[in-house]
Amino acid sequence: MSSTLIFLCAGSVLWLMGLHGLARLHHPIRRIMAINIMGSGTFMVMIALANRGEHSDPVLHALVVTGLVVAVSATAFALRLAVAISAHKSGKQQAPEPNE
Amino acid sequence: MITSWSSLLPLLIVLSSLVPGLLIFTLREDQNRLRVLLNMTGVLLKLALVGLMLWGVDRGLEFRFAVPFLPGGGLVLQGDALSLQFVSLSSVLWLATTIYAIGYLEDSPLRSRFFGYFSLCVSATVGVALAGNLVTFLLFYELLTLTTFPLVVHRGTPQALRAGRVYLTYTLGGGALLLMGVALLHSLTGSPDFVTGGYLQPMLEAHSTSLIVAFALMIAGLGVKAALLPLHGWLPQAMIAPAPVSALLHAVAVVKAGAFGIVRVVYDVYGVEPVQALGLNVPLLALTAATIIYGSLKALQQQELKKRLAYSTISQVSYITMGVALMGPIAGVGALAHLVHQGLMKVTLFYCAGIFAETLGVHRIREMDGIGRRMPLTMAAFTLCALGMIGVPPTAGFISKWYLGLGALEAGWDIALLVLVISGLLNAAYFLPLIYRGWFARPPAEWPEERSLGTGRPGLGETHWMLLVPVLFTALLALLAGILAGTGFSPLSWSELIINREFNL
Amino acid sequence: MTLALASLLIPLATALLLLFLRSRAGAWVIIASLLSLIVAGLALAEVVAHGTQTLAIGGWDTPLGIRFELNLLSALLLTFTALVHLLVAVYAERSRHSQTRDTDYWPLSCLLHGSLAALWLSRDLFNWYVTLELLGLVAVAMIIISGPKAYGPALRYLLLSLAASLCYLLGVALLYGRYGVLDIDLLATMIDANHTTRLALLLMTLGLMLKAALWPLHLWLPAAHASAPTAVSALLSALVVKGPLFILWMLWSRMAPVEVAQPAGLLFALAGIVALLAGGWAALRTPFLKTLVAYSTVAQLGYALLALGLLLRWQQTELSAALWLFVLAHGLAKVSMFLAAGEMQATLGSKRVSSLKGATQTMPIAMFAFAVAGGSLIGLPPSGGFVAKWVLLQPLLADPVHWPWALGVLLGTLASAAYVFRVVALAFDRADPNPPNYNPDAFAQWLALLPALVVWGMALYSEPLILWLTEVNR
Repeated sequence: MSSTLIFLCAGSVLWLMGLHGLARLHHPIRRIMAINIMGSGTFMVMIALANRGEHSDPVLHALVVTGLVVAVSATAFALRLAVAISAHKSGKQQAPEPNE
Repeated sequence: MITSWSSLLPLLIVLSSLVPGLLIFTLREDQNRLRVLLNMTGVLLKLALVGLMLWGVDRGLEFRFAVPFLPGGGLVLQGDALSLQFVSLSSVLWLATTIYAIGYLEDSPLRSRFFGYFSLCVSATVGVALAGNLVTFLLFYELLTLTTFPLVVHRGTPQALRAGRVYLTYTLGGGALLLMGVALLHSLTGSPDFVTGGYLQPMLEAHSTSLIVAFALMIAGLGVKAALLPLHGWLPQAMIAPAPVSALLHAVAVVKAGAFGIVRVVYDVYGVEPVQALGLNVPLLALTAATIIYGSLKALQQQELKKRLAYSTISQVSYITMGVALMGPIAGVGALAHLVHQGLMKVTLFYCAGIFAETLGVHRIREMDGIGRRMPLTMAAFTLCALGMIGVPPTAGFISKWYLGLGALEAGWDIALLVLVISGLLNAAYFLPLIYRGWFARPPAEWPEERSLGTGRPGLGETHWMLLVPVLFTALLALLAGILAGTGFSPLSWSELIINREFNL
Repeated sequence: MTLALASLLIPLATALLLLFLRSRAGAWVIIASLLSLIVAGLALAEVVAHGTQTLAIGGWDTPLGIRFELNLLSALLLTFTALVHLLVAVYAERSRHSQTRDTDYWPLSCLLHGSLAALWLSRDLFNWYVTLELLGLVAVAMIIISGPKAYGPALRYLLLSLAASLCYLLGVALLYGRYGVLDIDLLATMIDANHTTRLALLLMTLGLMLKAALWPLHLWLPAAHASAPTAVSALLSALVVKGPLFILWMLWSRMAPVEVAQPAGLLFALAGIVALLAGGWAALRTPFLKTLVAYSTVAQLGYALLALGLLLRWQQTELSAALWLFVLAHGLAKVSMFLAAGEMQATLGSKRVSSLKGATQTMPIAMFAFAVAGGSLIGLPPSGGFVAKWVLLQPLLADPVHWPWALGVLLGTLASAAYVFRVVALAFDRADPNPPNYNPDAFAQWLALLPALVVWGMALYSEPLILWLTEVNR
């Protein structure tokens, strides 16, 4: 039971750290990492909760797997967008526009 | 089969101007003939349908059109005696104003848009008149705001836009208050059909606070359009609109819709006795008295003809509300008769002002010197209606003021009589100089901005015939309404019929 | 139920099809959304005739399986989604200025349609998470169609949306850890007001409010909606923000314990009033047309929030009808407004509100569409917005104690009137009209007008609509 509690707390701390990072950081890559830390925290909480009874709960494991798939694809998309932004910015630095 | 046509008739009366209006929007600017044809078809069709309804009501037929809308309050159009009075007035004046507007706007731009909204505006007015319950009334009342706004800003100049914004601020604010009032009553009882004597008597004990608040909200909402003090600010500014629009706003559509709404709320929603029991008539009376005096005093200060007429409207429309607020049958007859009489007279005065401005470029009062020699027919019509406004016998204005005065005495409000007398004196003070200047002062060597709209000679050719004919027509009606007040078809006798039903006499 | 599933699967299949088939994408999407609309309409008729239906997906019953439920509201929302998608698809295909030709718009809009349909039908907390995530990703992908200038707002939207999803997911995990079920009706029978429930509800609510751009978590919306292509802005405002709102309403009205819901309702209602005023004020001040329309979405969602809050506060199920009427009326009006605004902006060559001078002459139909849609937002009779406001006002006015809320609604009405007529009055300025850069496109303008006419037509069906939506909660 105590290991479950440790994992729960660790997950919550990760989640909060991620949220804090998202709020405080500005660089796109850092913010994307912050989101991922939040995600890891959530999944950790879910895994810990799966262990709460006599047997570990397969439903929560299934949910975590689904969540991971969603998180990976979202991260890929966000990274692609961040790359596009920096490419657009560096393109702009060569031909600066006044209203940027 | 009989029931089906009679239930469709109120809808057809609304549609008879709505459909031509929508069609007119689709016309190109140069399709002048088709536009006039559509306009006149709509006007005449509406007159015929209203005539049919008058005939039917005389035969004791019921005209009620209803579709479901909100729970507890459908969309109801019906022709009762009160609505018929307003419908007849607006249809007749629409005829005159359409002819006048066609002449007035000859060769000006954006006529399709103008006449489109013009027709929609009349549809909304007729809808207000025929509305069979508060929800329906609210609906058409708001539509009236929306359709008149493009007319007020029609010229598209910065001044017109400023006036339009002021107009919208007042009327949309008023509309929102009215909505609140209607919704409040609806939450208590639903929205049953208007019924003589009102339907709120059973609620009097349990919900008196709600009823008072709802009354205040609705009177404030209606008072904006009826130009009650202190909600009158939009009206003088809206004078920037073209003359036919001013005529329509002042005599028929907007101002009258407000006054008519107050009549409906007091007589057919609350009922005379509950209003008195709640003590609501006294503040209303005080408000109208203040408005009457204030409007007359402000009119006296104006140097522009249209502005003077505008302030005069503020004062004169409050006569109607005052007649209602006096709570007696005789004053009620005066109020309802004045609804028609004031409409006829004020529309004529605005037509005349428009003619002076268009033909000779006369806008200010001191430019009117000797105008009667150049335009005797127009000036005669102007004189007739100005005398009516003052209340000189045997004009229509005299009749309604007489009844209002008698009603004030009957109801025991002698002070109201005093207000009427003071206002009458003030009316004379601001109209008689105009009449004097027009007939007896020496005409200038040259008019400010003369245009050749007619032959240029005094008489039937003194201006464009499409401007002159409506003036003579409405002036004649105003005269007949006074002279023939004792006969069966006059506005006065119709008002007596309505009031007798209202007070169970 | 088969019909409702068809309404969900048709756009989904079309989206997959369009990944491979690139030619004539517009025509395919129009056909698909039309089909989806027809089957959704039939599903609605079926529900009206036979009542609510449920489906256990794959034959697995709850608590293990996922349950779909088709009730009147779901059927209505399916129809509404398909209708909006159809209208926008026709615009995107036909307008010169839609910026969506030969782009990924087509499969994405179908995916959007499919995921929303799934959201309306689901009754399972985790399934909702999946649809929400899908919705967010598709929405971001659609925003960036308009080019590099939208990348910044899109990334911000994406990150916030992901954070919101994780917030929601953590709440779901807590609830599941406590009660062991994910189905909302099962949860409703087991739930009690303890700390876990409160924390989970708080997390889920914050996530959903962020996604639905409910005040005070709305700050991402104006930039994101204003920078998207016109057709996408219309879809985002009309549909996407309504998805999380639906879940929020489900959670609180069906599942949350009364002793938690009542105090929360007060907060929701207050946030709603502030949203109405703050959104209206921002719309009144902004110099850009599409931003004005986007802020109006923030303001209008305030009505929904107010209805939700008072529904919880007083436990009056009639207010659900007001909420959903607002959603339907706002969705249709907003489609019209965004299409009209986009068309005018592209034709007149400027994003500024001031460029609309004289637009009643240069683009009369688009301007008329804007005004008519605005009339419904203000709540002028006889429009859908009026009916919604009327239903909201009835319980507010019935008791003098509640009148201060009605004052809030009044102020909101005046604020919306101010920003709508700010635009309309300018369009009547004939002194100095702004000449169009292109020949105005009449067909696109008529398309913009169509949803506005539908929302005014809604008033004619208001009585059955109100009755249906009132029954939803019983």
